[in-house]
Amino acid sequence: MIIELLIGLCLLGTVVVLVSPSRYAPRLAAGWSLLPLVVSLLMYAGFNGRGNALLGGQLAYETMVSWVSLGPYALNWHVGLDGISMPLIVLSTVLTTAAIVSAWTPIEERENQFYGLVLFLEASLVGVFAALDFFVWFVFWEAVLVPMYFLIAIWGGPRRKYAAIKFFVYTNVASLVMFIGFFALIFGLGNSIQSLDMPAIAQALRAGELGSTGAIAPSTLKTLAFVAMFAGFAVKVPVVPVHTWLPDAHVEAPTPVSVLLAGVLLKMGTYALLRFNFTMLADVAQQYAPIIALFAVVSVIYGALLALAQQDLKRIVAYSSVSSMGYVILGLVAYTVYGVGGATFQMLSHGLISGLLFACVGVMYNITHTRMVDDMSGMADRMPVTTSMFVAGAFAYMGLPLTSGFLGEYFVFLGTFGADFPGAAWFTAISMFGIVIVAGYLLYAMQRTLFGSFSLETDYGADGVRTDGGENADEHLESEADHDVHRAAAHDIVPLAILLALVIVLGVAPEIAFGMIRDAVSPMLAAGGAG
Amino acid sequence: MVAVQYYLLLSGAIFCIGLFGILTRRNALFFLMSVELMLNAANINLVAFSFQYGNLTGQVFSLFITALAAAEVAVGIGIILVLYRNFGDVDVTKATTLRW
Amino acid sequence: MSVAEASTTAFAFEVAPAIAVLPLASFVIALFAGKYFPKKGALAGVTATGGSLLLSLWVMLTVAGGAYYNEEIYTLVSTPESFDLHFGVLLDPLSALMLVIVSLVSFLVHVFSLGYMNDEGERGLPRYYAGLGLFSFSMLAFVFADNLFMSFVFFELVGLCSWLLIGHWYREDAPPSAAKKAFLVTRFGDYFFLIGVVAVFATFGTATFAGSESFPVLAEEALTDGGAGGELSTFGLGAQTWFTVLGFLILGGVIGKSAQFPLHTWLPDAMEGPTPVSALIHAATMVAAGVYLVARMYGFYALSPTALAVIAFVGGFTALFAASMAVVKRDVKQVLAYSTISQYGYMMLGLGAGGYVAAVFHLMTHAFFKALLFLGAGAVIIAMHHRQDMWEMGGLREKLPVTYYTFLAGSLALAGIVPFAGFWSKDEVLYEALVHGLTDPLLLVAYLMGLIAVFFTGFYTFRMVLLTFHGEPRTHTARNPHLPGWNVKFPLVVLGILATVIGLTNMTPVAEATGLEIEFLHTWLEHGIEGLNSEHYGELLETVAGYSAAELSPLLAAALSLALALGGAGLAYSLYSGDRPDRHTDRLGDARTLLMNNYYQDEYQVWIAETFGTGVARLSDRFDQSIVDGAVNGVSSVSLFSGGRIRRIQTGIVSNYATLLTLGLVALLLVVGLTGGWFL
Repeated sequence: MIIELLIGLCLLGTVVVLVSPSRYAPRLAAGWSLLPLVVSLLMYAGFNGRGNALLGGQLAYETMVSWVSLGPYALNWHVGLDGISMPLIVLSTVLTTAAIVSAWTPIEERENQFYGLVLFLEASLVGVFAALDFFVWFVFWEAVLVPMYFLIAIWGGPRRKYAAIKFFVYTNVASLVMFIGFFALIFGLGNSIQSLDMPAIAQALRAGELGSTGAIAPSTLKTLAFVAMFAGFAVKVPVVPVHTWLPDAHVEAPTPVSVLLAGVLLKMGTYALLRFNFTMLADVAQQYAPIIALFAVVSVIYGALLALAQQDLKRIVAYSSVSSMGYVILGLVAYTVYGVGGATFQMLSHGLISGLLFACVGVMYNITHTRMVDDMSGMADRMPVTTSMFVAGAFAYMGLPLTSGFLGEYFVFLGTFGADFPGAAWFTAISMFGIVIVAGYLLYAMQRTLFGSFSLETDYGADGVRTDGGENADEHLESEADHDVHRAAAHDIVPLAILLALVIVLGVAPEIAFGMIRDAVSPMLAAGGAG
Repeated sequence: MVAVQYYLLLSGAIFCIGLFGILTRRNALFFLMSVELMLNAANINLVAFSFQYGNLTGQVFSLFITALAAAEVAVGIGIILVLYRNFGDVDVTKATTLRW
Repeated sequence: MSVAEASTTAFAFEVAPAIAVLPLASFVIALFAGKYFPKKGALAGVTATGGSLLLSLWVMLTVAGGAYYNEEIYTLVSTPESFDLHFGVLLDPLSALMLVIVSLVSFLVHVFSLGYMNDEGERGLPRYYAGLGLFSFSMLAFVFADNLFMSFVFFELVGLCSWLLIGHWYREDAPPSAAKKAFLVTRFGDYFFLIGVVAVFATFGTATFAGSESFPVLAEEALTDGGAGGELSTFGLGAQTWFTVLGFLILGGVIGKSAQFPLHTWLPDAMEGPTPVSALIHAATMVAAGVYLVARMYGFYALSPTALAVIAFVGGFTALFAASMAVVKRDVKQVLAYSTISQYGYMMLGLGAGGYVAAVFHLMTHAFFKALLFLGAGAVIIAMHHRQDMWEMGGLREKLPVTYYTFLAGSLALAGIVPFAGFWSKDEVLYEALVHGLTDPLLLVAYLMGLIAVFFTGFYTFRMVLLTFHGEPRTHTARNPHLPGWNVKFPLVVLGILATVIGLTNMTPVAEATGLEIEFLHTWLEHGIEGLNSEHYGELLETVAGYSAAELSPLLAAALSLALALGGAGLAYSLYSGDRPDRHTDRLGDARTLLMNNYYQDEYQVWIAETFGTGVARLSDRFDQSIVDGAVNGVSSVSLFSGGRIRRIQTGIVSNYATLLTLGLVALLLVVGLTGGWFL
């Protein structure tokens, strides 16, 4: 029942924060978010799951209650955790608290609604990672979009409406495509399943009980379903070429929302890929491994190149997320313990590091009111602590050893280089070049913004709307913000420090997460070879 | 006893007259009247079938419809008054602000 | 060995990780509490590296007693189905020697920093000492790494530290840029190294350096036994070819970190960092890491004659190439930077030519005399109030006697004049290249390039000494230098003595001539863990790589290189010894322009980076914005457009709606009727 407690706490928090007066909401929400955080940490400490959730492993904190019957299929409330979902839940609760605290400074209106929505988002995210019944899972999956839409559309930047609608429509259409693919499988399975229980479906599929639907042969059906589901989830990840919602959403979203978006929402995509495509349809995944790996490599290199061309710090981090998530896909396709385990580890690691970097950019933005690389230089003098955090986060992003970023990527490379599919070594070697490009753009951005002599020039109008792209440099006004550039408040720094500490702890002692991940991943591989 | 077909013919005729009125007239009052005609055409059907099958439900329904029609006239005339106040006319083709 | 001795040995090895951990502790202290200490974290650093030095000496003594150590100490990830990743400690003669070198130089650099940074009133000292501490930690851990994974981890950390320290003066524009360049160029090399590490794991399933299950041993078995090769996955290539490929991949990292051609361009720029940092980077830590790595896994490289030949050729070329650029530089630190590149070229030449001991010897002597030269240059820079142009100096000999004599000792060592350290080691490198080169033309070319570089080295070294210390003072500052304190002189004296005498530990020509057993370094490196000593490497070179040495007296080669060095020095003396030397290099004309611009290496690398980096990035950004995102926006425009058209039927006229309604009803009735068969 502890998962229900976790989700219930978040939902109750939503209600409490929504009805509370705005001026108490920030502290109340932060305090309240500690409850699910503590609960999830206790769950982590007492985790006793074994094996993979979908493949007959022993689940931790499992609840199975029958709910309603829908035609031939029973709908159950089925939740439970294995070594893949447990760390992701902790990631969600940690990042939610961090995002709430980092929102204290930038969010200045309708606070109770903002924090209420964030807590609702947390409930949905926990639900996505915990649900084991397709229906329940899908409800949570879609429920994530609602708070996200409002968080971007109400508290976002100048083009927030465009970004929010793009985000919502893009991911929703993707969900639809995925839904069609999945239900094609359900109908193909026919009588071999009696419910939409994901473990049952996974085991039936892996046991080869897929029948034909109409004129479509089982193998074709599998492939088509795989393609539809991959396309649907790829939008969420995002994989090139369906990534373009991401930079817009990130740039327009308020920073705390970016933290959650990059930190957890993207992981929903890879998590779903891992659960659905790569566990249920492992044989198809292995059959088309080179093509999937190609998508991954293109995401890595192309995403990194795009990041190299950006001037907006948030866009840089956003595109580099595309690049980093490419490593996850590459690891998944390898079907080795380091590959899939490393992909999961990389999800965690990227969640923490991109959250950290976005939060750093946010802290700087709160004070300078600009994110443009060209607008500022020499911030290190004015904001030494934030600068240190930014530097540390950036190096973690570049994959510096003894941070989790290094291990995530390293595991993936180790797992993929010797993988079975044709050209694995080449794909890995090419994708590794991403570590050079990522160093290039992050170092360049840091050199320009943090170092050198101090200057800050923005052409923001009084209403905070950027008047143009900054082309007419001679019209730059020496804004009053120049004199206001000061050290960030302690409550802005604390979340950064905590995230950084986690990044280093995971980098030095990866076993605390990798142990359970490996345990959950191994059954996938053992049975995966059957196809 | 009159066969039910004649009632149906009568109601069909009245319905078509109402429909014709709605499609051709531009005066809002004529609109309202035509709608009343169509409603009553339906009423005739209900009563006729009720009589045919000896089931009173149809007649009860026609009473409901009569009451509803009365309410509708009240609302409709209210709308027409507002229409007149805003557009200075009761021509329905003039009031086109609710478009793309 | 008695029980007591055995337990002392065990204890010495068990505390060995503390050699690296002590500087790490000083990093933490300096970073978080440095500003509360009187010397801003310097004392913690001095204490920690001093402790490391003592422990390293203890370990060295223990190793000298014939005990070796190869243990895992911390497992990061253990995977039953696949390979483990762990940190371990490997203590053998090579690593013990290197530990002493690194901790000694690091200790002296810390002491020197008291004079260079604290006494000069620099800002950001806690950050500086934290960087030094982390640097020493990374390098020491790199040195005793027992597997390639751990090496890579600390190799990268060394890169981070160089970034932090080179960019120490971040308020100016040049240091952050230089730091970025250093990190990026070495990262480009590390890219290949990373592929190499991963490929080694994928091939051998292990990356340990020593033991019967280590990858050099497995590779050797695959090549010699033939049968075992079938078990290794060699990615479709023959075992020999694949091992050569692996060697090249790892060599990428080495070339980057050890600043070999063509990835040497970061090193001269790295002079933007504080001078003690330059000493640390050049002498003992970052640049040494590359060469040390090749020495560490020499058992693997010895299996591939192609890789060895490339190492030798790159080394020989770099030695000559860098020396030629050092000839015209005006900045004293620039001269030293190019000499570093050149000297590491010698080490690579030695390794590639099969002179493992010679290369390690040169690594050792170079560490001392280059640290000495940089610290001496630092002392000069203190004296000159942070001016570095040699043409503004002159006549410092009388004012700074300690600096002058120690610097001179270092210069004699660098130029390779008997009996200073550099002579013995450089000579041995060249000797090894020559004897193996007589049977291999590629090696012979590499040798010749190295030999010509000796002449250049003699010239630029003495040009530097003469311009800095001799003649009349050329500026006001040079007439009234700032006199350095004890904390500057102490490291100089220690290193000066070492630079003078350390070469005596391995006087091969003398041993040859007299027949005495005085080649101590040869003896030292002959021992060690099974398969990890110079004797074994010699066998491998002969049996697997097919190297053969010609019979030749070392005296002849030594005389030749000494003559060239003296010739270079003499030329410098004849040109620059006067009270008011002329700018003779200006007479070189276009050649000088070419050399001053470093053969336009930076230009073409920047061009490549901009074309293939930024240029392609811009193009892809445009592609992304217009085509990929354009497609997305196109889909939405199509629906917007069609919606915009279709909504025209919402005319606002009630009659039209009623008509549509009626028509729709009729159409529906017709369809239902036709399909339902009502009209039949």
